Amino acid sequence: MEIIDCDVHPLESPEHPLQPFVPNDIREAVKQGMASMPGAGYANPFGVIRRDATCVDPVAAGRDYLDPYNVRFAVLQPQGIYAGLTHNIDVANGMARAWNDWQTATFLDADPRFLGSISVNMNDPKAAAREIRRVGSHKQLVQVLVTGESTHLYGHRAYDEVYEACCEMGLVFALHPGAEGARTPSTPVGMPSSYFEWHTTLPLTFQAHCVSLIAEGTFERFPSLNVLLVEGGIGWLPSLLWRMDKNFKALRSTVPWLRRLPSEYALEHIRLTTQPIEEPPDSEKLLQLFGMLHAETILCYSSDYPHWDFDDPRKALPSRMPSDLAQRIFYDNAADLYGLPPANREGRISEEAK
Amino acid sequence: MSYKTTTSPAPLDQAFDIIRRAGPAKAREGIRVLVARDVDIAEGARLIVEPRPGLSVGVFRIDGSLRAIKNVCPHNGAPLCRGTLHASHEPGETREFHPGLVGRVLRCPWHGWEFDVVTGKALYDAKSRVATYPVEVDDGSVYVVL
Ligand code: FES
Repeated sequence: MEIIDCDVHPLESPEHPLQPFVPNDIREAVKQGMASMPGAGYANPFGVIRRDATCVDPVAAGRDYLDPYNVRFAVLQPQGIYAGLTHNIDVANGMARAWNDWQTATFLDADPRFLGSISVNMNDPKAAAREIRRVGSHKQLVQVLVTGESTHLYGHRAYDEVYEACCEMGLVFALHPGAEGARTPSTPVGMPSSYFEWHTTLPLTFQAHCVSLIAEGTFERFPSLNVLLVEGGIGWLPSLLWRMDKNFKALRSTVPWLRRLPSEYALEHIRLTTQPIEEPPDSEKLLQLFGMLHAETILCYSSDYPHWDFDDPRKALPSRMPSDLAQRIFYDNAADLYGLPPANREGRISEEAK
Repeated sequence: MSYKTTTSPAPLDQAFDIIRRAGPAKAREGIRVLVARDVDIAEGARLIVEPRPGLSVGVFRIDGSLRAIKNVCPHNGAPLCRGTLHASHEPGETREFHPGLVGRVLRCPWHGWEFDVVTGKALYDAKSRVATYPVEVDDGSVYVVL
């Protein structure tokens, strides 16, 4: 009997490449990774790692970055952050554990200047809380780190156990962009079509989490919880604080557990890192923005070393920044947040940074 | 994590304490101005009057008592007393709703900010309030004391 098979897959090969058939005008775009699909997330076509640096070895990272820049402490953000996006929940729990032990064995044990982030699987909050308690008393572990992409907004009660564990162990809860758009569109109105668009709009997620944490009363329930928003931009904060406070005047009755202006919760419990710092053509504007967002309390310096959008501590912030503000941003705010020893005042970081 | 040690009562709790404790408007020395007849203001109703040229005041009857509040919203100057009266939620535990202040919360007709008619206090900020005036009823006449 002759048959008809309705499903056979032909594969491209070096003998029969697809490339000659790709229209000329999109060949370069395809080479730059722009034929990517949602499951793969958004990749920087030119690579995410700096072309002159890497951070695979604690000794080299200490020598190439910490020493020359006088970095007294560097908070690591390892890739275990993606545990919460892993499909299999049990494998994700195991991977979080693996990354935490790896980080301690490789970087933390090698150099006390490295401080670590605890990776957890937010899709299994019970397991996440267990993992936080398992490793959380290590002196160099200062925060729990999760992705901006998540199943729920972070004010959701599903995460209560995680916050309880953070408070119990005295750990900051930190958000870092991670795979936004891998599960749901990275913007509420659909999928951006380039890494440029994706990366520029990352603050959308951060703003949503920020309002959720405040509006749901997370800081009323967990008065000792502090949240650090890493790499999510800073320029949006003043507008968000003003918007929340304005809306609160008419809509307080819908969030009656809030006992103060929403902005006051933010100023007390939320901190932002600087990188990638907005770079207006006139750096004076950035200083004005610092004033609007209470940089003297809120901003903590970060470089994103060794990623492509690294902010050099000597170059990234306005050179005309007052030295006491520089001191707060480069050291004191993070020291307060993580409970680190005060800065060495002679040879102030701010002076060296200029 | 050194900057979170304060346990002093939060500002809004103070505002709601004052609102909850508010009794009848205290008598006050001042100029008594006749503004209405007692029968003109039914329970839950209001009258907007001008006890002095240029001063607009709303007189409300809430739970049987007459209350007078300045007819100007501290936000953008809307005629506040043309807003609606309703209840609100008092501060409580997270995830709990505690309805309260039934019929005495005045919502500005323009942008919806909330004020307690009895004390004039804003419900969103302990430091903000609208002027209120004592009301006296004498022989069927209603007086606002300025
Ligand atoms: S004028 Fe009253 S709320 Fe804006």
